[in-house]
This record gives sequence, structure tokens and C-alpha cells, in this order.
Amino acid sequence: MDGFLRYYDHFVLPFTVGMLVLFTVIIYKYVRWFVRMPKEDRRLVARGIFTKKTAQATGEVACEALGHRKIWRVNPTLGYMHMSLALGWFLLIVVGWIEATVHFSGELTAPHTHVFFKFFGPTSHPTMTGKFINFMMDFLLLFVLSGVALAWFKRLRSKALGMRRTTRHTLWDRVAMTALWMIFPVRLVAESAASGIDGSQSFLTGAIGRWMVDEFGIAQVFNISAVAWWVYSLVLGAFFLAMPFSRYMHIFTEIPLIFMRRYGVRSGERASSFDHFQIEACSQCGVCIDPCQLQADAGINHVQSAYYLRDRRYNRLRREVAENCLMCGRCEAKCPVGIESNTLRLNSRSRLNDQPAEGRYEYLRGVDGSCGEGRTGYFAGCMTMLTPATLSAMEKVFAAAGEDVWWADRNGGACCGRPLRLLGEIAAAQRMTDHNVELILRQGVTILVVSCPICLRAFRGEPRLADIEILHHSQYILRLVEQGRILMSSDTMSYVYHDPCELGRGCGIYDEPREVLRRLGTLAEVSQNREHAFCCGGSLANAEIDSTQQDAIARTLMAQFAATDARVIVTACPLCKKMLARHSSRARVADISEVAAARAVAAATP
Amino acid sequence: MKNHKVIVVGGGAAGLQAAATLKELGVEPLIIEREMQTGGKVRRWHRLFPDFTSASEVLATLEKNAEGIETLCGVMVDSIDATGVTLAGGRHIKADAMVVATGFDLFRAELKEEYGYGIYDNVYTSADIEDMLNGDGVRLKDGSAPGRVAFLHCVGSRDEKVGQPHCSRLCCITAVKQAMELRESFPDAEIYNYYMDIRMFGAGYEEMYRSAQEDGEVRFVRGRISEASPTIDGRVQIKAEDTLLGRPVKMTVDMLVLAVGMTAAESNGRLGVGLQSGGFIAPRDLFTGAVYSPDAENIFYAGCATAPKNIGETLNEATAAAVKAAEFLLEK
Repeated sequence: MDGFLRYYDHFVLPFTVGMLVLFTVIIYKYVRWFVRMPKEDRRLVARGIFTKKTAQATGEVACEALGHRKIWRVNPTLGYMHMSLALGWFLLIVVGWIEATVHFSGELTAPHTHVFFKFFGPTSHPTMTGKFINFMMDFLLLFVLSGVALAWFKRLRSKALGMRRTTRHTLWDRVAMTALWMIFPVRLVAESAASGIDGSQSFLTGAIGRWMVDEFGIAQVFNISAVAWWVYSLVLGAFFLAMPFSRYMHIFTEIPLIFMRRYGVRSGERASSFDHFQIEACSQCGVCIDPCQLQADAGINHVQSAYYLRDRRYNRLRREVAENCLMCGRCEAKCPVGIESNTLRLNSRSRLNDQPAEGRYEYLRGVDGSCGEGRTGYFAGCMTMLTPATLSAMEKVFAAAGEDVWWADRNGGACCGRPLRLLGEIAAAQRMTDHNVELILRQGVTILVVSCPICLRAFRGEPRLADIEILHHSQYILRLVEQGRILMSSDTMSYVYHDPCELGRGCGIYDEPREVLRRLGTLAEVSQNREHAFCCGGSLANAEIDSTQQDAIARTLMAQFAATDARVIVTACPLCKKMLARHSSRARVADISEVAAARAVAAATP
Repeated sequence: MKNHKVIVVGGGAAGLQAAATLKELGVEPLIIEREMQTGGKVRRWHRLFPDFTSASEVLATLEKNAEGIETLCGVMVDSIDATGVTLAGGRHIKADAMVVATGFDLFRAELKEEYGYGIYDNVYTSADIEDMLNGDGVRLKDGSAPGRVAFLHCVGSRDEKVGQPHCSRLCCITAVKQAMELRESFPDAEIYNYYMDIRMFGAGYEEMYRSAQEDGEVRFVRGRISEASPTIDGRVQIKAEDTLLGRPVKMTVDMLVLAVGMTAAESNGRLGVGLQSGGFIAPRDLFTGAVYSPDAENIFYAGCATAPKNIGETLNEATAAAVKAAEFLLEK
């Protein structure tokens, strides 16, 4: 206990109070969130803790929470800024702790003695190790300061750091941010003053300290030191106090999130306490704003994931913000923290719109438009019924392959349920999914070919269909070609492929359609493709925007295709096809099944 | 190249009428038409509603009035501004005033793929029917006469899903007129019109609609067709809801005719003048400034470039635009 009292000055109080509040609030929040999590989720955590997942999570924490690897990938300057602050500060604490522990020879001291070591302890050490530590501490401080300088610069001119738009913040955020920006410059002044008084030789604080003594005289430097340490403690305390109520909560929250994610915990279509870990792990970095086409093309600036998460966190989420989203997933693909913003938004929508479905949709019981017999099932989906060229094409493909097919909805069927699900009507959607699942299970098919990526996603997410192989028709066609069951001829026709959101980001199917097209002719690529592909604007998930806004979104997409000079724009979703077709004046727009079927012939029987 | 007094962009009904009026007023205009001959969409019509006047008679009058006017055919205008017009390819022609009479585009029925146009046999557009009437008469793909025909109104009109929220106005009366023409050709055929509203705005239109029901025995069903599918024998099965009876309807017809709407000309986007949200050109205002351009005081608008109009309205507007253009030159 001696150490607690021996190294004390009143100025440490703001820091100490701030730190105590910070850890109390954080522990309270985490315990509360964890305890309220569903039992199955807590069981996942318990089961995962003593497995290699923990080691993997630790590695991920080092890479992401400290190194900010994913931001580096999106934008190196921004990655450096975040890394210098996080890793730099972390190392300052670690190296500072080592320095202090060595000096106090392991004596038990209060945390403030480590944090304000240059005040309580000597500013320089004569030994080689000491010199190295001095150098490291100065170097790390410089490293962090470079990040702070970039952060200042980014506030002034976000474009300079490759971000067209940057996030607008709450009051808590502004307090915390202002404090954070002051911490390191003030620390530089305080440590320099202490070094000047001590006559330290270190390259940064020592040099500035010597200059201060030369310039202002030793007495004045004493005054500067007294004020600077107070200010340093005050800004640290202010930052810690504001932190758990601000976006800086992400600094700690990303850590439990990474661990729980590794253990298999996920957010679902109904809200759960786990969502807090995702929501408060959002740093409001704003990386999600630029990829949002609502922002870029439709001038909607208040609904992007960063804002949605912020509004939900502070309990001021408005219906419109939850619902005005294409759910295309472009932002999710770029999120450095890997927050499942689409799922979270979905469960906000279910909280707003879900209602019991008992007594509704009773007529579904009589709906069975299936026909044919076969171990292979084909589910066209209602949107495919509206793009009958795909139906004709699939008919031709099945005939060429000699496949016996059970058509699940040839003479009409029920919706897969996903469009309603996307709007939050989970119970109603489930009734439709159930109807289709029962229909499919009754038939006993082993493969189910689906033409609409929306339906595909609905069925792939259905555990009762786990024993059935569910393929998109692009995958099925490629398989037939690879198995030699159909032959496709190629020519010089040029194609460009549009990745539908639900097929690409939704189901991870990027390569099969491209492989089919490569076998037909030449394939051009646009810059925003695969997981970064633009949405066509026709998303069923957004009932807020009007058709002129949809058109604006589609036009940006079409400009990409026009730049390739490809003669056929191919997609693999009936909804995308409709949207692209009405915005394409020169290039033909076709579903992948149409272009494949036009060139498919039955393989010669051996 | 000499400096033209007035350039009339487009040689359809509006362009011909505007040019003829200018000539009458003593101003020598130049017509620039992108097709190989003037006449525009009227040339494709067989007979006109509501009194079955022959379209070629009307066109002959328009062309006679415009006789001798300098005309460039097969030339595409890319953009216009206060100094004149720029042709596709970059050549600029100077003019003191311009009358923009670029008309409209027909809605591409392929975009309502659910109706199977271009995919199934025996699905036609109203424009195809005019072609057939101008040719050997209306026939099914196999050359036989249709026993049952369904017309569908509002294809590419009042349809947010294809970005065409406006009413094209003329498709209702066109479908009624064609239904009566088919009745004439096929006295025993069953003829249906599927509609969501019937909009009979012109003089004599409502009377023609009534006559179609009473004398023509054309049956009208209130409900849009949701989808169509082919049958094995080459017919078309349609699904709709009869919203008056509140019942789903499934019907197999020999022929499905899609009454296609009028969409803003695609070329409007390049012209460099202000557009309305649907893509039609924006006049100064909808009341006293309908023929004026808000962009330049020497640009005037006529006809379907600014909104769907029938031929009578188009010709009146063309006359007005020409008079205002001539007045502008006089005052200059």
C-alpha cells in the first residue's frame, strides 16, 4: 500500500475517477448483455472457450482491434490512422508499464503511477535497456501523434483520406473525440517539460524539454509542467468518462464480439441481447457510407449502417431509417468490424412489423401447382414467372440433359416468403416458407434447382431442407456441362455479368455464372463486381424509395456496363433482369439460363 | 452552310404541321428527320379513332401542306441550344429559332416479359395490329383467324414497376378502335378488353366505347392481366382478376394484344434541354407556356415531345409553336 500513497499528486484524481467509471460501466454493460443472451448462445460460448477458437480469436483481436487489418485493405491511409492510435497507444501502455514495473521493482502501485510515470519516476535511464525504453516511448508517442494529426486532417478534409463522406457524430462522441485528440499533444508537452527539468537525452521529449528550458527558463518550465500534467489527467479522465457512452465504446467491445463470433454466436431475425455487442462495436468510422448507393445516387444521407446503428444504440431509431435500405450488403462487405448490419436491420424491422400469422394465409393449404416426376426438383419462383424466357430456357436445358424434373410451381405456387421476411414480417413469411418446405419434402427430391436468388436464399436458410442439395440454375447448368450431359458451343459474343446481391453477397455464388459465360464467349468485368457489385436498385427490401430513385441507382450500374462495350449484359436474377432491361438501350439483357440454353445441345449418347 | 431561320426537329405530325405553318407565315424552315422519310408514327397507323378516318389521308394532307420545304431525312439531331442544332457526328447547324417536335417512343413490350411478347406466338402489340391491318389483315401466326382475342390496356402506362407512372391517354381508345376493327373482320370472334380504368378523354371517344359494348359486343373486364403463358397448341393462357366480381380469371385466348403506351423519347436525354421526371421535355409551364422552352427564348416545343397527345392536339400545338416562333423572329 506504500506505493499508493508515496506516488500521489492531486492532479491524478480526474484520471482515476474517469478510469473507475469507465471500467465500472463497461463491466456492468458486458455482464448485463451477456446474462440476457439466449441460453443457446451462452452455451456456444461455454463450449467454445477451451478450444482452439479462443486462440484464433486472440489472434484476430491482435490483427483487427490493434492492427486494423481490414481497414488497411479498404483504405491504407485510414488503416494507418487507426492502427497508429490503437496499436501505438496499446504499446505505449505496455512499454510504459514495463518501464514503471522495472523502476518500482515490482512494488504494488496505483495505475496512475504507471500512466504518469514520467512525473513520478525519472524521465531517463542511464542503462542500455533504459535508453532503448526511452527511445521506444518517444517513438511510440510520435507514432500515435502522427495518427492524431491524420485524424485532425480527416475532419477538415475527408476527401484527402479517400472518404467522400465522413460520419456526423453525437455530443458524447464530440466530447470523447475532442478529449482524445488532446490527450497525446498534451502528453507530449507534459513529458517534455518533465524531461527538460530532468535533463533527459531522449530524441523527442528530451529534445523538446531542452528547447523549452532554453527558451523559457527552468522556472517557467516548472509551471508548464504543473499545468500540463493537470490538463493531461483531465483530458484522460474526460475521455474515459465519455467513452462508454460514445462511439469509442468500440475499442473494447470489438474484443468480446470477436470472441463470441468465433464461438459461433450470431444475430438473428429477432432481436437478442447479443446485438448490443455488434451495435456498440461500431466505431462510426463511416467506411459504410461511401459504398451506399442510396447516398451516392439517391441523395439519402441519414440511413447508412453507421447512422442506423447509432440511432438504434441511443434508442432513437425511426421506422424510416430501419426501412430505407436496399439490404444489398455492399456496406457489410466493407465493414472493418464485420458487423452484421443487414441482420440487425432485419430484426429492427421484425420488431416494427412482425405480427402473428395465425388465421392468415389459410388458403395456402390448397396451393399445389407442381407437376412432373423426378429426383430433381425445380422451383422457378414468382418473379421467374414474370420472366418466362427463363422458364423456356430451363425447359430446354432439362430436355437437353434428359433430366426428369419435378416442377414445384409450374402451375402457380406460393411465395418463398423471403420478400415478406425482408420487410420484417417473420411469422407470415415463415408460413409461406413452411408451405414450400412441406411441398418439397413430400416430393422427396435430392436436388432442388432454383431460378430466383431470393428463393434460393430462403431455402438455403431452412434447416429442414439440409439434406437436399439446393442449387441456383447457374450452378446446375455448369454442373451439366462439366459432367458432359450437355454441350455448349462458344463464339465471339461478348458478355458482361451482373452479380445479383442475393446470389453473390447473399449466397456466395460468384464463379459459376462466370464460368458458364466463359464457355460461351468472352467475358468482360466491371470494376465494382463480385462482393462489391452494385445493386440494381430493384431490391424488394426497400419499400421507401420511389421509382425515380431506383432509376438513379440503376443508371450508375448501367454506366459501368456501357463502358465495357459488351453486347449482352447477363444476370442471374429475374428482378435484376427487369431492372437492367428497362435501363439498357443498346446492349441486350438476358438471364444466364437464356444465353446458355441458346447454345446448349444434348450430349451425343454413347 | 447558310444560316437557317427556323429548324424543325422531327418530321412527324407535329413537325410537318409546324413547318407548313411557318412557310405559310413566310418563314422558310428546315425539317430534320431521323427516319428515312417524314410522317412519323402516323405513317404506321391504318385508321384513326374515333371515326375510322384513314391515317394516310391525314398524312397526305400534312405532307401536301409541307410540300417544297427543305428536309433532311435520315439525320439524327444530337443536341440543341440557343445557337442551333448539333447533329450526331458533331456538325452544327445555326438557326435563329427551333421547333422541337421529336415525338415519343413506343413502350417496349418486351419489358413486361410476363406477357411473353417476343417469347410466345400470338402475342402482339397494338402497333403490330396496325401493321397487320395495313397489310393482309389480322391473322394468327399459323395464318388462321382468331376465335378469341384479349386486349390488355396500360402496358407500359401507369406502371411504376417499369418506371412509366404516367397515363398515355390514347391506348384505351386505340384498344377500343382495334377491337371494333377485329369485330368487323371476325364477326363471330369473342373479344375481351382487360382494363383498370377506361379513360375516354376526346370528342367522340366515349361514344365509340359505348358502341363497342353495345354494337360490337366487345366485353370489358376490369382487371389487369398479371401473367400469360403459352399452351401446347400455340394459344395463350392469361391470368387476371376480375375486380368487379372479385374473382380470379383464367382464360385461354388465340391472340393477346398489348396496348402499348407512349414513353418519353430516349433521345430527349441527349438534347440538352430540361426534362420532366418521366423523361418528357419540360415546357415553361403547363398552362400559358406550353409551347415555350424555359431554357432559351428561341426554342419552342410541339406535340408528344412534352406529353402524350392525340393527333388533333398535336397539330394545334404545332400551329401554336410555329406562330410563336415566327413572332419571335419578327420581334427580333
